[in-house]
Amino acid sequence: MLSNSYRLDQTEQKTIEFYFNHEKLIGYDGEPIAASLLANGIKTIRTCEITGENRGIFCGIGHCYECRAEVDGVPNVRTCLTPNREGIEVFSSNPSLNKGELENES
Amino acid sequence: MKVDVAIIGAGPSGLTAAIEMIENGLTVAVIDEYYRPGGRLLGQHYEDPKAAPDQRVWNGKNIADQLEKKARGLGVHIFTNVTAWSVSEKWKIHLSHPKINMIVSKVLLLATGSAEKALPIPGWTLPGGISIGAAQTFTNLHRVAVGEKVLIAGIDPLSLSVMIEMKNAGIDVAGMVLPPISPASGNHHTPVQTVARLKDVAGLAPNSFIRTFGKYALAWFPRLIAHALRFNFLKVNGVPIHLRKSIVRIEGSEQVEAVILQSVSADGKPVGQAERMEVDAVCLSAGLYPLVDLAETTGCTLVDIPELGGVIPLHGPDMTTTINGLFVAGNITGIEGAKVAIAQGQLAAVSILKSLGKNGSITVQEAKMEMEKARIQSPLRFLPNIDEGRTKLNKLWEKEGVI
Repeated sequence: MLSNSYRLDQTEQKTIEFYFNHEKLIGYDGEPIAASLLANGIKTIRTCEITGENRGIFCGIGHCYECRAEVDGVPNVRTCLTPNREGIEVFSSNPSLNKGELENES
Repeated sequence: MKVDVAIIGAGPSGLTAAIEMIENGLTVAVIDEYYRPGGRLLGQHYEDPKAAPDQRVWNGKNIADQLEKKARGLGVHIFTNVTAWSVSEKWKIHLSHPKINMIVSKVLLLATGSAEKALPIPGWTLPGGISIGAAQTFTNLHRVAVGEKVLIAGIDPLSLSVMIEMKNAGIDVAGMVLPPISPASGNHHTPVQTVARLKDVAGLAPNSFIRTFGKYALAWFPRLIAHALRFNFLKVNGVPIHLRKSIVRIEGSEQVEAVILQSVSADGKPVGQAERMEVDAVCLSAGLYPLVDLAETTGCTLVDIPELGGVIPLHGPDMTTTINGLFVAGNITGIEGAKVAIAQGQLAAVSILKSLGKNGSITVQEAKMEMEKARIQSPLRFLPNIDEGRTKLNKLWEKEGVI
């Protein structure tokens, strides 16, 4: 069931294309960016600015700020609260992740 | 923007209050940080055995959608994806909105809800380590699996219902274990203490839990507590509930790869060797606490009542606080279910209407009775001693809460 995707079911929602660290991905229009990323098997959204350790979704309601990323040039956007849209560009704040040196496992 | 009433939080209590007030002649604005209204309702989906036969299925998302539609239809201003970052007297609500940076109101209703307590154990920041509430939202609302093989740490009413929701969605839940047993966790999570708390769940459990676990657990509980030492695990919906194993740490280099589990005695002492279980996600459940940050900025009196979930604004039976024009409703007043939150929203609304010289659809007294009814009818009880906590609060209010 989850072999290709983390989606639990298929729905009629409108799909969109967006970019995460330059990689083109598919998501549903209007769902939180974090949900689109997780649906693509991406759990690491950024790295800790101090330790360099990976970080991803934790609370899902905007409190912990762990899922923040740069969205269309705006830094520190909480991806769990922010709806996805056609063509947006999402970047982990850490430059090494942006260059794809650290791979997200899917 | 100027309104009669500003409401912070578009969950069940905030939306219900907004509808009642606008229907009775007040102008209302509701502010919420999330991208859509509904609050915790959005993730809720379970069967309610206490409800009338035709209302057994509690579909929180549908209820949220109905409340939103009704509120918008009546002209409530709903701001989503907007943070109310501070409030100042009487009342200025400061917003993170790109165009509207302030709402001015006569009355402020704080319906900010609750957040989850952290369960900080080694490895908990690894991607794949998420809160149980996030797991519920991603499963039921976004319909995305949090992992391919999931472990849940923390055995309580909320984590049990999320486990069942994940199983129903086809997610492989490898098991449920106790939180770490350590001085830091206050040692409230020994097998005996956990089982004692689950007694409430067996009586009030949602969905199929009552039919599987509840059915035999009800009969078994007295013996279960007495013989907790003998039990390795129970199975609910095919998921092992390890009442005598606790999580020690989460391991992984880039993200969650495994957990280390330790068997414990009934009173929480380690027994035998630790074991490793491979999973790619861990849901951490440590309970909820009321969100009082904005209440703090108003200077209202706060009180610590552990039976209600922690620090809350001191408030009276009609949802007034120690500050004139400041009201509260929902989980900011104590951790309870959505039905109670809805009734509290209604009660706060009629109290506010009364304070502004207007009549509501029911009287304050009637709304209080509706709230008591909702409390009795709630299918899921998060905290076992809510009634005790409310009694404590009322005594404090009588002593200190005079405006």
